[in-house]
Amino acid sequence: MAFSSINDPIVVREDIPQAFDEIWQIIAKPGNWWRGADRVAIAAECRNARSCTLCERRKDALSPYSVKGDHHSVSNLPGVAVDAVHRITTDVSRLTKSWLEECEEAGLSDGQYVELLGIVVAVISIDGFYRAMGVPLEPLPEAIEGEPSSYRPDAKDHGAWVATVSPADLSEHEADLYGGLTQVGNVITAMSLVPDSVRMLKRLSQVQYLEIQDVPNPACNGGRVISRRQMELLAGRVSSLSECFY
Amino acid sequence: MLRVSSELEGEKVNLRAVTDGSEVQSGVPFQDELIRFAEAALGDDEAEITEARHQVRDKLGDQAVVDAASVIANFQRMVRIADGAGIPLDTPMAVVTVPIRSELGLDSYGTSGNTPALSMPLKILGRIISPFLPALFKQIAKRVSSTEKTA
Repeated sequence: MAFSSINDPIVVREDIPQAFDEIWQIIAKPGNWWRGADRVAIAAECRNARSCTLCERRKDALSPYSVKGDHHSVSNLPGVAVDAVHRITTDVSRLTKSWLEECEEAGLSDGQYVELLGIVVAVISIDGFYRAMGVPLEPLPEAIEGEPSSYRPDAKDHGAWVATVSPADLSEHEADLYGGLTQVGNVITAMSLVPDSVRMLKRLSQVQYLEIQDVPNPACNGGRVISRRQMELLAGRVSSLSECFY
Repeated sequence: MLRVSSELEGEKVNLRAVTDGSEVQSGVPFQDELIRFAEAALGDDEAEITEARHQVRDKLGDQAVVDAASVIANFQRMVRIADGAGIPLDTPMAVVTVPIRSELGLDSYGTSGNTPALSMPLKILGRIISPFLPALFKQIAKRVSSTEKTA
């Protein structure tokens, strides 16, 4: 099984590698808007962005949009997709709505963008765990052949840059998406234009933080050995260092 | 959540530790080790990550390292979802966090622009409600707990 190296030197709860393995399998499959090979390439670009010199220069610049150049790319993805992956990975707090509109004008559809975002954030949280644990990164999965489904749920404008599906608008295809909750935070609905992105988010949250329905209960720590307030201190510090307002 | 989970445990918390790091004592046990681990894990210095991880391991044990690394990684994902999709802060949360955001300077973050400015009446409402927030969440916790017992 993939992710078996994770238990060295510290033994890890077994639900963690199980969840990571499931995520790897989802990434390898064709999605709604990208083929499996594209999706694995997005994951590879995400890893590669950490050593991209253009990203480094942009990160240091007063405005990342003033620095032109080519990314160090390891894939055949369209340039606009490579740029999106690198920016989300290395400088997400300075993305703007107008930048995303330019991406769409350059041929990256909203569905492709959200699917790409879902893959990038999944890889970042799995790799982030590995780095924190001091374990070499897991090799990326082998892509599975097939064509994307082009499935688009009934998503609407709810104030984000991309259309989202509210709990009231879930169809039978996405009935599982919010665990039966009638109200969920925007961060949960954010990627619902591509339902599997939300499913990956939920699965990872389940093992890395809490079940989404447990989040509003401040007494719940999901059975972890650290307390809820220790968890929230970590969450708050990471969000603050990332300059995340949300 | 840090504030309400702390008050639920009968403890006060200084939220400035979230923005200022270990310079401020939050009141959360083993804050220095946990904050150092979070700060190191967001960087590229492997030696620093190793040292920070060892400190958490020495003070809190192996499974605390796993749980802390998990939460740190989880929020590296969540911040990118929020900022990558340009989501606004949920309105009820925007209302009740008015004083905290102001106190911690969060409104100066670039991504605050993704959330429409609140009207003056809502801002005032937020300042009125905010002190009662921990009590409100305590009620939620009690209700969830009694529901679980019934089930």
